[in-house]
Amino acid sequence: MMFYDLFSGVKWEVRANDHYFHQSCRRKSFLCFRWGRYADNVVRSYKYTPLTFLPLNLYEQFQRVANLFFLLIVILQSVPIIATIPWYSTMLPLLFVLLVRGCKDLATDLVSLSFLSFSQSILLNSFHLHRSLKTSHISADLLLLCSTEPHSLCYVETADIDGETNLKFRQALSVTHTELNGDSVKQNLAAFDGIVWCEKPNGNLHSFKGELHWKGERHLLDTDHLLLRGTVLRNTDIAYGLAIYTGSDSKILQNCGKLKLKNTQVEMLLNKTVLVILLFMITTALLLAVGAGLFEHRVSPKYDVVSVLQRDSSPAYLGFITFWGYIILLSPSMPMSLYITFEVIHMVHCLLIGWDIEMYWEDNNSPAQARTTTLNEELGQVGHLLSDKTGTLTQNRLLFRQCFIAGHIYGLLISLMLFSPLDLSWNRFSCGGLKFSDQRLVDKLRERSSPECQEFFTALALCHTVMSEWRDGLPHYQAASPDEEALVCAARELGWVFLSRTRETLTISEMGLTRNYQLLALLDFTSKRRRMSVLVRDPGGQLKLYCKGADIVVLERLQRDWPLQESTERALELFAQGCLRTLCVAVRSVPEALWTEWSRTLSQAGTSTGNQETVLEEIYDQMEKDLTLLGVTAIEDRLQEGVPETIATLRRAGLKVWVLTGDKTETAVNVGYACKLMDPDTILIQGEELRSENTDRRAVKSKAALVISGPELAEMTKAPEWGAKFVALSDQCQSVLCCRVTPAQKAEVVEMVRKHSTSITMAIGDGANDVNMIKTAHIGVGLCGVEGSQAVQNADFALAQFRFLRRLLLVHGHWSYYRICILLRYFLYKTTAFALVHIWYSFYNGFSAQPMYESWFISLYTTLYTSLPIQCMGFFEQDVSAKSCLCWPEIYSIGQKEQLFNPLVLAITLLYSVYTSIILFFIPMGILQYSALDYQTLAVTVQTSVLLTMTVEVILHTKFWTKYSVAAVVFSLVAFFLSTLALHSTRLFTFVDITKCILILCIIICVFQSNVIDLKINMNQVNIL
Amino acid sequence: MMASSYSAKEEDGHHSGSAGLGGTAIRTRKPDNTAFKQQRLPAWQPILTAGTVLPAFFIIGLIFIPIGIGLFVTSNNIKEFEIDYTGTDMSSPCFNCSQSFSWNSTTPCRCVLFFSLDQPFESNVFMYYGLSNFYQNHRRYVKSRDDSQLNGDERSLKEPSKECEPYRTNENKPIAPCGAIANSMFNDTLDLFYIDPNGTQTQIPFIKKGIAWWTDKHVKFRNPSSSNPNLTAVFIDTAKPVNWRKPVYELDTDPENNGFINEDFIVWMRTAALPTFRKLYRIIQKKNNMTPTLPRGNYSLEVTYNYPVRSFEGRKRMILSTISWMGGKNPFLGIAYITVGSICFFLGVVLLFIHHKYGNRNNSSDIPN
Repeated sequence: MMFYDLFSGVKWEVRANDHYFHQSCRRKSFLCFRWGRYADNVVRSYKYTPLTFLPLNLYEQFQRVANLFFLLIVILQSVPIIATIPWYSTMLPLLFVLLVRGCKDLATDLVSLSFLSFSQSILLNSFHLHRSLKTSHISADLLLLCSTEPHSLCYVETADIDGETNLKFRQALSVTHTELNGDSVKQNLAAFDGIVWCEKPNGNLHSFKGELHWKGERHLLDTDHLLLRGTVLRNTDIAYGLAIYTGSDSKILQNCGKLKLKNTQVEMLLNKTVLVILLFMITTALLLAVGAGLFEHRVSPKYDVVSVLQRDSSPAYLGFITFWGYIILLSPSMPMSLYITFEVIHMVHCLLIGWDIEMYWEDNNSPAQARTTTLNEELGQVGHLLSDKTGTLTQNRLLFRQCFIAGHIYGLLISLMLFSPLDLSWNRFSCGGLKFSDQRLVDKLRERSSPECQEFFTALALCHTVMSEWRDGLPHYQAASPDEEALVCAARELGWVFLSRTRETLTISEMGLTRNYQLLALLDFTSKRRRMSVLVRDPGGQLKLYCKGADIVVLERLQRDWPLQESTERALELFAQGCLRTLCVAVRSVPEALWTEWSRTLSQAGTSTGNQETVLEEIYDQMEKDLTLLGVTAIEDRLQEGVPETIATLRRAGLKVWVLTGDKTETAVNVGYACKLMDPDTILIQGEELRSENTDRRAVKSKAALVISGPELAEMTKAPEWGAKFVALSDQCQSVLCCRVTPAQKAEVVEMVRKHSTSITMAIGDGANDVNMIKTAHIGVGLCGVEGSQAVQNADFALAQFRFLRRLLLVHGHWSYYRICILLRYFLYKTTAFALVHIWYSFYNGFSAQPMYESWFISLYTTLYTSLPIQCMGFFEQDVSAKSCLCWPEIYSIGQKEQLFNPLVLAITLLYSVYTSIILFFIPMGILQYSALDYQTLAVTVQTSVLLTMTVEVILHTKFWTKYSVAAVVFSLVAFFLSTLALHSTRLFTFVDITKCILILCIIICVFQSNVIDLKINMNQVNIL
Repeated sequence: MMASSYSAKEEDGHHSGSAGLGGTAIRTRKPDNTAFKQQRLPAWQPILTAGTVLPAFFIIGLIFIPIGIGLFVTSNNIKEFEIDYTGTDMSSPCFNCSQSFSWNSTTPCRCVLFFSLDQPFESNVFMYYGLSNFYQNHRRYVKSRDDSQLNGDERSLKEPSKECEPYRTNENKPIAPCGAIANSMFNDTLDLFYIDPNGTQTQIPFIKKGIAWWTDKHVKFRNPSSSNPNLTAVFIDTAKPVNWRKPVYELDTDPENNGFINEDFIVWMRTAALPTFRKLYRIIQKKNNMTPTLPRGNYSLEVTYNYPVRSFEGRKRMILSTISWMGGKNPFLGIAYITVGSICFFLGVVLLFIHHKYGNRNNSSDIPN
């Protein structure tokens, strides 16, 4: 309890094997109420139960302003003195909207219910002791108690958490290791009664503070003792742990955060427009109310027929009542059902993305997936594409393709399709998978005619940190980096097989001959050193240092005047041109005396205080010199299929493609050239040039690309105005490559682009290190690649291959943008033109809020008569075919420039609707005024005109007539005429006989304009091409 | 480039197709290759180009202008005569009547107006009364009626809808027909006399049935308990509208035109759309083919002036009109057609000019579909 007081925040108590304690504290739920502290280990992703559905869902729905507004209107309508139209006129559309929306919510919820059944398989509670087996995902945050490995070590892979693929070790407390391990682990564990006091659940992955109370002693716990949920156990048979945080309490789930709701630009503009309409509506209602007040003041008193009806109310009061009456009348101009249609269309578009067979990848059985259903139209507006490199542009499957040994280049860089594998049947350890083909090398190795080659492969088999694992009599390797794995595998295939390692020895088989090397020191790889070495004593007793690293660092540590300098440099250049990653391999014979002295320095450094890293670096440096070059390896990280074509198309479409990679500059630049990010004659602007003033001019003059590295980026972002300058400069360039950037920097770059340009950003990546970037961008795309599912889970869209991006953006994106923009514009037009007619009529009825339409028409207009054709258009419309979209990527710029939905277009649409409403009212009025015109005739005429005009408008906009579109139009018209027939006398239709002419006339006048506009758009499109 | 990437894709498909044989246990998530899901539905794709739009403009123009001219000529051939009998002028014969007015005066005020027709009116002539500045479309006024009472509902007869206030009850008796519309029913009587050149006056015979809409007369308006022919008994417990001089069951002697189904009443109850309106009053039927219905000459209109409009500066008119296939006189329709047709034609010419001058360079590149 003392502990409790000492640390504030350390308030989480876990008691091992104490069921009662935890049972009482477990979080329980009844309906929507929850209490208790400890979460089940089930991730509950569904919201509703049958009982809670109705209230919860209604509550959610009325949080939308539009719905609330219409609820208000319905309430207003139930006040008899205000009600200008019967209560059901708005009630019906509102119910319709609520119903559709509710069904959709329920459907979404049912989908997540089925997800639930997956996660249910790992149900456990906080008090459980948990056993994890090798290569299994850990299912809760566990305190490591003991494992089958020595010192209760435990290797974990954290790729799903931080994206780092190398193995990390976790170690149990020595006390639990010694006390619990042994023959009777299970009994020991069952008797374990420690109590853990620690922090409350939080999302901080890299810190953990706590204390274990056991047998009267306190042991401090930190993050090294914790196995996080989501990590994978490697190289460890069994690990036992105490579950500390389970379910939603676990660190990774705490870290997930709430999904940020992304809104598209189009939607934001729409919301603003709706707001403008609302303001306009209120102002108009106010003016009309003033008009009503004046009418009541000036005209009514003399006009006893009406004035008697107002029962001594003052003109001001009547004006006030009329104001609300007009609010009700004009409320249809608020496109309420637009929001629901908008959502339905979005959902359908998402389904269509998932259904697209051309975005389905058979190799891993994954179709494209739209995980966020609100961003579709933004897919058609992307201006900046920020892409990860490894695993996104490339396959992240590294292949040993070429090597350079003693003046010879072995292996040919030919297409894999033409590749003929070597005959490796002589090698009993061969597992296959080598994409290297050069019989000369194999012959030399088998004949043992070239000591350089043998030494080279010995180096490859020894100098690494790979762990081996035996399955079916064959060694399988687990490596921290894919490069190492590729090299060790290549050595294995060619006869130099790494068999196993202990702390002190390395065992390899050289052409069937097993040899033991004593491992003296391992000079580890760091990103700063960019090399690693091993110091071994070979079976002959000689000391040798094998070193492997980036060409620059290794070459400068060679003996002076080393031979073959020229041919090596040529080979390196050749490899770089082939986009191969190169590593230099070197050796040094170490005299015994030097070793003794050096090891002493090393052990001293181990105990010294101060900056251990730099001290170690210096000591390592002393050993890694006077090297002899053995050779150069060339590893290929193959580009994914179709990447160059895709990038070239996207560039034609006007997208700026940025590549953000943790890789080194040279590789990134080479990949940049290889995937057509830059043309062969593009000049690179990098380093100091980025800072100079005249860079702008240079970039404009010629084709250029910016190359910037992570450290430079970190330094430059300190200057406040730099971001804007950089983004402006990048607009002049073909492309931008950011190398050596950390995951956080990737997100910073995205943020920078978002901030300093108006365009839509899209981030695409496959690994956990891209999650930040994916979350920051307007649209995040995850590739379901080799590196786990973290990226996909945080993405808005999931693809299997980079090349599908072309179809996603150019076809689905463009269509979505086109459809949604046309739909929104039409909706605004339809609703405002409909409502505005009331205003014109009010000048003729003493501002009395007399509606121009009959009530049944008002309620059925948006829901029945005009909803289907436009929805069909939203589903099926194709302004250009998929093929043309891909062939003429320039069409894509319509979305980037927001040509179809911007304030100007909206203003035109609204003016057009005002114009239409004037025509719709005054033409019928003008024509009918000479006859014995009654209210009903005028109403029916205007109604019919409204409906026909709107239908014709849709007909004119539709460029892709499927059978559904035709059916929808026919249905709408038939429904209208049947209901009019049913509700009115036939006499009306003899009147309508005359009116028919009028209708056509109105329509033609309205249609005029749209024809001209359409023609203009058409010509615009032609001009683009 | 494109071709190569496509062929590669197909190879992909073949490859995994053969590999899929072993893994049939795994549920494939491959989307269905249907036209609907792949957005390849068969469709007609009309493209609006200059080639289709320009002819459309010309055709519309060429069709509309003749129609407009036809309508205009027809409308001009229709004869219409209108006379204002409000009596606002001192010189007007009805001036006295318009001044000394109260709703409940017992002695009817009569005035006679003389007018002459320059042209004979052939075929059936429709006689309208017209009111100006009368807001029959005011919302409170429009609402002030009880449709179920007018439809003959017994309960509504006894207890009219609240909408009828303050014309719902009078002296504790329900008003039939209730409401402001009924209360303000037009009750002038108009009679037309032909004055022979020799000075004798002949009354023009009117038809007063058939002026209401068929559905109104037979569906919407019904007398309560239509089985009982004695309307007086049916309306026994009701009061007449305040402004009326006689109860509803005395509107006419003809039982087919009395009570709620009186056609003058029905016509009035069909509220007008605009504050200036006309309503059909009587039909003057053609006698024979030899003589015109209303020959050229002098006429006198005898007005029984009951209906007050002076307070709200309203006007009262009497209108005589013949009709044609397109209805009454309507110059607007013809003019509108001609205007639209001309605009279409003009736009067509302008667009043709633009297309001819600037459109050529775009001809080669059209959007492929």
